[in-house]
Amino acid sequence: MRVGVEPFLMLAAVLFSLGLYGALSKKATVQLLMSLELMSIAVNINLVALSRFVTPQTMEGLFFAIFTMVVSAAEIGLGLGLVLAIYRQARTSEVTNLTELKG
Amino acid sequence: MAPTVSGVAFAILAALCVGGAVGMLVARNIVHAAFWLLEVTIASAGLFLLLDADYVAIVQLLVYAVAVAILMIFSIMITLRRIEDAVRPRDFSAVAAALSTVFCASMLWVLRAFPQAPSQELPAVAPDVAALGKLLFSAQGWSLPFEIASLILTAALVGAVWWTKEGDE
Amino acid sequence: MDWLVAIPALPVVAFVALVFMPRAVRNKALWLPVGAISISTVLSIVAFFQMHPAEEGVTEALWNRSWALATINGKAFELGLQYDAIAAILLVVVTVVATCVQVYSLGYMHRDEREGWYFAVLSLFTAAMLALVLADNLLLLFVAWELMGLCSYLLIGFWYELEAPRKASQKAFLTTRVGDMGLMFALVVIFQQCGTWELAEVLGSVHTWTPPVAMAAAIGLLFGAMGKSAQVPLHVWLPDAMAGPTPASALIHAATMVAAGVYLLTRMLPVLEAAPPVLFATLVIGAITGLVGGLLAAVQHDVKKVLAYSTISQLGLMFMAIGSASVVATLFHLVTHAFFKSLLFLGAGVIIHSARTQDMREMGGLRKHMPVTWATFAIGSLALAGVIPFSGFFSKDEIIASLMHAHQTWAVGVVLAVSMLTAFYMTRLYFRVFEGPEQTEGIHDGHKSMLFPMVVLAAITCVIGFASPSFAGFLGEHGEWPSVQLIALSTTVAALGIGTGWWFYGRPWIVVNTAVYKERSAWLYNALKQKLYFDIAYDAIFIKPFMRVADFLWGFDSRVVDGAVNGTARGFVLFASASQLFDKNVIDGIVNGIASLSKNVGSGLRSLQTGRIQSYQRFILAAVVLLMLFLVVKGA
Repeated sequence: MRVGVEPFLMLAAVLFSLGLYGALSKKATVQLLMSLELMSIAVNINLVALSRFVTPQTMEGLFFAIFTMVVSAAEIGLGLGLVLAIYRQARTSEVTNLTELKG
Repeated sequence: MAPTVSGVAFAILAALCVGGAVGMLVARNIVHAAFWLLEVTIASAGLFLLLDADYVAIVQLLVYAVAVAILMIFSIMITLRRIEDAVRPRDFSAVAAALSTVFCASMLWVLRAFPQAPSQELPAVAPDVAALGKLLFSAQGWSLPFEIASLILTAALVGAVWWTKEGDE
Repeated sequence: MDWLVAIPALPVVAFVALVFMPRAVRNKALWLPVGAISISTVLSIVAFFQMHPAEEGVTEALWNRSWALATINGKAFELGLQYDAIAAILLVVVTVVATCVQVYSLGYMHRDEREGWYFAVLSLFTAAMLALVLADNLLLLFVAWELMGLCSYLLIGFWYELEAPRKASQKAFLTTRVGDMGLMFALVVIFQQCGTWELAEVLGSVHTWTPPVAMAAAIGLLFGAMGKSAQVPLHVWLPDAMAGPTPASALIHAATMVAAGVYLLTRMLPVLEAAPPVLFATLVIGAITGLVGGLLAAVQHDVKKVLAYSTISQLGLMFMAIGSASVVATLFHLVTHAFFKSLLFLGAGVIIHSARTQDMREMGGLRKHMPVTWATFAIGSLALAGVIPFSGFFSKDEIIASLMHAHQTWAVGVVLAVSMLTAFYMTRLYFRVFEGPEQTEGIHDGHKSMLFPMVVLAAITCVIGFASPSFAGFLGEHGEWPSVQLIALSTTVAALGIGTGWWFYGRPWIVVNTAVYKERSAWLYNALKQKLYFDIAYDAIFIKPFMRVADFLWGFDSRVVDGAVNGTARGFVLFASASQLFDKNVIDGIVNGIASLSKNVGSGLRSLQTGRIQSYQRFILAAVVLLMLFLVVKGA
């Protein structure tokens, strides 16, 4: 059976939605960040799949995926540092406690 | 790999991905959730291999599976007061579920409704790591983004260190 | 002779100066009015000696001065003074009497709180009388006339804390006002006829007037004079006016104000002569007044009331003299009356002060303890009774002579009857007061300042009678001594009167029971006691209905008018409350509603700002999803 690009895209969509659900509903900050990573993975799958099927020669999608990985690594590093800083301040790292923007 | 993507392989790996994602979401223990994420990364690395993106797969493994996952576990450990705190309620939100479902449904519907031309054919030419390396470091290629990326990483490193420093500074 | 202006001007200056002083200063500045009037007296006497006897029947002005005040309708409006023989005589009389009264008042009003104001009004009054006499036109005369009415009001009601003076001053003012209506009417008629009020012009043109005009003017003048000179039926104010200070009565009600009416008619005699019926009416009114005054005086117990009715009676005689068209007789009696009546009033003041009562039934035996007062009062009484050789005798005989000259024999009878009555009641007064048993303790004579003027006036009274012929000559007429028959007649009448009085009141060995006589003549006696029902009649006919109208109008005003005003006010208040309710509920409701709407919307929207990241994320996602749906639907 031959699998075209669509199944990859659909898989990516599902993964992304799952990650989205987690980002929106999880209360622990670490879980939030994990969901964000999940979304990032889904995006990478999308990029790589499309690169393979659309521009195999120039491999643009691959480069895009590499750089997004770099950025998301930086982001996760900072995010976890943030979690530690918040934990030091508030003795907890729950998102529900970070309400200083409350109007 | 054959010039076509194997359906079976894809199905197994896709199932692993989605299952891992679901497992991550429903896990009550945060450490378990972190391990499920690790599983998802490995499964997606497998998918990359399926798509002849060897370099990306290795990078994915190195970055995510190793570094990111270990980072996660370490932070979890540091921010836990007691081992018992690792287990938490499942945090269900109907709003988020509804929104995500609608989002997913519309995305899938779009994908169904607008088929792209090169949907079935797998192009003959496969990406080559050497070619990728050449392109990565060439001036008219991706060398500038490469340098910027390293800058970003440095900044992130400095930032993370500063943030997590002890003391008043 | 422009310095003649000073004669009325000095008392005016004294008045103005006193008015502006505070009370404490005023009460100490009495040398000012007394000095002013004394200087005026001196000036009057000096001017008198400069006056030449006038030519036959004409009193021509020695001096005349007018001041143009304004231009009305192209004609210059002037007021001025003139000095002729009549003015010469009257100036001296008025200033002398006024000076005596003021000096007397220094003693009489000595401890009164408002002494200064009393002197101020007295000065103003004197100034007005002097201006009246010197006026060369009827307007100035009228102004002075009204000014004297005002001062009379102020002086009668001087002790306004008490009820009697208040009511008396109102009565005086209103009654003379009735007369003044007549005077105003006459002034209007005269102006219509002559176009001017200048005395010289008016009197000169009288012979050109038609009888109706002359009648109208004459009636008006007569009416005005009746009010001021207390002729029947406008005499009712004079007895009540005795509520004022006695020296004020002496000046106003003996010598000056009441004489103003007589003076007016004397000046305007040509007008009266041009209307013979009015002249005759004057005679009749004078006769009635003389009799009424005399009868009423005989039944009074209050010393001052006797003198008041006596004044009314004598004024009646003066009016009779006018009625006989004799300027000389009228003025001569006016002059002598001024001196002896003011003397009698001043004496009454001392008597009352000493006996501490005004009722002569409570007095007696004052002769021994008040010799000066006794002597001067006796002289005054004899003069009033018309006993030779005092002044009253000569002036009464002048009147009788002129009446006989005018062939009014019945009037002569009236004068004789009045003379007898006068003698009777004065004798009654004398015996009751000065003779008989003493009823009060600690009687002493008056202070020097009070006795000295009385002595002066008494001296004048003794002497002035003998000036009768020269008086006439001064006024340009031929004067004679009274004939022997006349002397005999009047002396007999006076003796009869005195004898009757002595028979009833004077015999020390019998006290006559007058009650019997009073019973026998009950109808007359009671009528006289009720002042011949004049006051009762006026009260019923005029006063009570007027008060009813006034009450009705007051009720109307307070109910209807005030009701309307208050009702309008209440309506406004209601409207205001309604507005307030509307404003509070509706308008404020709207405003507050908008405010709370904003607040609620704000609060509502604020709930979106949860501060939680995931909420914000959800919102963003929801927006994206909506957009996607939109695109999907559109694409489909």
